[in-house]
Amino acid sequence: MTYLLHAITRAGPADTPPGVRGAPLEFIAAGPLGAWATRDPVEGGTREDAFEHHRVVEDICAAQPCLPVRLGTRLVDADAVRALIAARVEELLLTLERVGGRRELAVTLLWPESGVEPGRRHTPVEARTPGRAFLERKQSDQAADDARLATAERLARALETGLATEQSDVRHAMCPSSKVALSTAVLARAGEADALKERAVEIVSGLDGVRGVVSGPWPPYTFAGTP
Amino acid sequence: MLDDVEEMTLLELTDRLLHRGVVLTGEATISVAGVDLIYLGLNVVLSAVETMNAHKRKAL
Repeated sequence: MTYLLHAITRAGPADTPPGVRGAPLEFIAAGPLGAWATRDPVEGGTREDAFEHHRVVEDICAAQPCLPVRLGTRLVDADAVRALIAARVEELLLTLERVGGRRELAVTLLWPESGVEPGRRHTPVEARTPGRAFLERKQSDQAADDARLATAERLARALETGLATEQSDVRHAMCPSSKVALSTAVLARAGEADALKERAVEIVSGLDGVRGVVSGPWPPYTFAGTP
Repeated sequence: MLDDVEEMTLLELTDRLLHRGVVLTGEATISVAGVDLIYLGLNVVLSAVETMNAHKRKAL
């Protein structure tokens, strides 16, 4: 028997939603907490399986405060689940208290599309030695990276100011990829998530030099884990 | 065909599913009679692929 874990809650809801691909979903009680898990899930690993996990987490979190568990956490029996929860029960209770009933928004700011990444310029191939051209290219790239990071930090501050949320309710990833200037997770109270999303859309549409996408609300994936 | 907004939303959600949320298993392993009871499963495989791709990009 194996269990694929989805979320941690204080108690099981009255209605049990189906697990991944229709497999049975079980609540494994572990002291004051418990874990929701699909029993004997079909071996998967596809993108659809990942979104099925998300669907199950959404169903659980819609019924009560919950902490999403990272995708792909498989345990061979209920005792293993109980042992892992028991080892961290105080920390999990505190996290559940803080983020359990809340929703998460994702704000993504993209650099404008162009052939060359913003701030980067190609070193012309001239009659230079290969070593000098290499060093100049490195220097140019480093300067461009620094400029992009400074811009991302400025955008993050503008976003925080506009949203007026607590510092602990916002987590930024600056320049996480060549196309993305900023990827921000924002924690919102369940009843305020849609309004906060509207405000975020308004803010990002007013930012210069980037395109913004606001996604969610979702269960508090980012804030359930370790910062 | 996904537009930019849908694609970015899917990427953000996928990133959260794969890399965030409570990590119960960590590096701990519970064993009984020498048999490991914990399987990290999909996230480890996908994370490993992601790490491998990142190294590949750096190497290029």
